[in-house]
Amino acid sequence: MIVYIGPLVLGFILGFILGTRIRINSESGLEFGASIYLIFLIIAFIVAYLLGPFPYYKDIPLANGFIAAAIGIIMGKLLFGRAKNPQKVED
Amino acid sequence: MSTILKIFVFPAAMLVMCLGVLTILGGHITPGGGFQGGAMIAAGFIFCLIVYGLKESPFDLSHDFLSAIESIGALGYVFLGLAGLLFSGFYLYNLGVDIYHIVPTSIQTIFNYSDPTNAGILPYLNFVVGLKVMVGLSAIVYAFLAFREYGEEAVDEPIEEIE
Repeated sequence: MIVYIGPLVLGFILGFILGTRIRINSESGLEFGASIYLIFLIIAFIVAYLLGPFPYYKDIPLANGFIAAAIGIIMGKLLFGRAKNPQKVED
Repeated sequence: MSTILKIFVFPAAMLVMCLGVLTILGGHITPGGGFQGGAMIAAGFIFCLIVYGLKESPFDLSHDFLSAIESIGALGYVFLGLAGLLFSGFYLYNLGVDIYHIVPTSIQTIFNYSDPTNAGILPYLNFVVGLKVMVGLSAIVYAFLAFREYGEEAVDEPIEEIE
């Protein structure tokens, strides 16, 4: 079976760039725990299955770029997406 | 904004972004491409900025990030075009990865977008255009929100009397 790695690699890189920007402001009161990302991943798999593969890219019955981007977002968040502490401006 | 929106919008924005990435990746083979996909990713950013506001948005778009990604996108496009100009005489010539048969096979394998349609440099062009459009549209909305916020702060401050 041929696995087309082009969409996988570029999708992961784009998703990783987006994931590194997820920085929850610690003073905002918003809390997005692991459950949010788990639900996001499950829904991403369902959406990718419903979207289907690109024409000529029928190696797996999923939109593999979509899955790669979702995994890239989560990996970027885990590696670089730390909580943001607002800078205190001193007079 | 309501609590329901605050819970719903962040994962929904991530899904919109993934769809934008998919649109960029399929630009050479399906309708879509760099601009459309970049606009969809920017829509995810804007979705969060509108619902959570500038300071509480879970996506932290710093000035350094925006300028770096914009520069990478623009320079990538220019260099891909110059590569075509250098090796074929035509700017943005779709030269693929086997340039005049002088590129070693190992390097070709790294850069080859394994594709039955032999797309050449088109996926890479879509990629860099997507990066540029993504930060360009996001920066516009980010700047508008910031101007509005700073404008309101300036109005709230008492005007000092000139002695």
